[in-house]
Amino acid sequence: MTAPAADARRVSVGIGQLAISKDGNDVLVAYGLGSCIGISCYDPQAKVGGLAHVLLPSSDGKRVEDREPARFADTGIDLLVKRLCDAGAVPRRLIVKIAGGAAVLGPANAEKFKIGERNADAIKERLKRHGISPAATDIGGSKGRTLEVHVISGKTYVRTAASPASEL
Amino acid sequence: MSEEALIRMLSGVARDGATRAGRGLSGLMGQQISIEVPNVRVGTKTDACDAVGGEECLVLGAYLTISGDITGHVMLLFPEARALECVDLMCGQPPGTTTEPDDLAHSAIGELGNIVGSAFVNALADDLNLILHPSPPAILHDMAIALVETVYAEVLSQGGDVVMMDAVFEDEKGRTAGLLIVAPDPASVERLLGVAA
Repeated sequence: MTAPAADARRVSVGIGQLAISKDGNDVLVAYGLGSCIGISCYDPQAKVGGLAHVLLPSSDGKRVEDREPARFADTGIDLLVKRLCDAGAVPRRLIVKIAGGAAVLGPANAEKFKIGERNADAIKERLKRHGISPAATDIGGSKGRTLEVHVISGKTYVRTAASPASEL
Repeated sequence: MSEEALIRMLSGVARDGATRAGRGLSGLMGQQISIEVPNVRVGTKTDACDAVGGEECLVLGAYLTISGDITGHVMLLFPEARALECVDLMCGQPPGTTTEPDDLAHSAIGELGNIVGSAFVNALADDLNLILHPSPPAILHDMAIALVETVYAEVLSQGGDVVMMDAVFEDEKGRTAGLLIVAPDPASVERLLGVAA
């Protein structure tokens, strides 16, 4: 069976949150990523999935608050990889896909606000430190995205307000 | 200053701004618009979008930046279907005439954002004796949370926490007629509190 059951549990991963699951009934979802970026990870051998919803590129040494463990790309990715490993995943086996980082506040502001772009750069850089390069990305543009990963198969889907879900 | 004290002080500012913004909306739509007591939220709360249908709800709206003595972000959001009704009301067309967010709808929503957002900003400026300039509106058409979280990111990237004032407008039938969000940049929150005191 590679598709989640009809009664799959959709786990919403909000701003600055991360979730890890080994339950094939779970679909981890980051709704409405604007300049934020969703990082989905899957270890096909350990059958463990993870999703983080990163808001900002760098913690700049600031303490990470418990209520938003994945607010920053640097500390968020370190924690995501650690939690995945705690659940039996191995970093070199991880299939990592990232989506988001759009400039949604109009073309005139896209030049001024570059958080999405900075988030994407910071995330790729931090993943590299863990020896990971993303298998697929859907970054930038001007539209918000919803990213989901199906724990049963590791399949990852992206949709926007204007376009239906497509596999990433 | 405690979070409660900050919220109390900004609530007064938000109430006046929302009243004037609501009056602007009433004038444009040609009907009575009422305003729920505005909220002041501290932190990245996703329930800010609940009034327009929740996180993934498709909204049409306008975004303005504030410059001058303080800087910040203003956003006016409508659930898509309500936005199209607003366009018909503004243009004096029978309800249901506008069926998709075309150029006319974008232009009308931009105008709505301009008037309602500027009304809030002008109330801030008058009450606190500040010189403020709202920017021309950018038209938004996206998932509500994608827009709100991008404002959070812009504010938080400057350090400090995010402080957001929001007001829900209701039409004569008691339905949500729009959501106005105002978020000063962190340095401006200090400034606002200073002058409000």
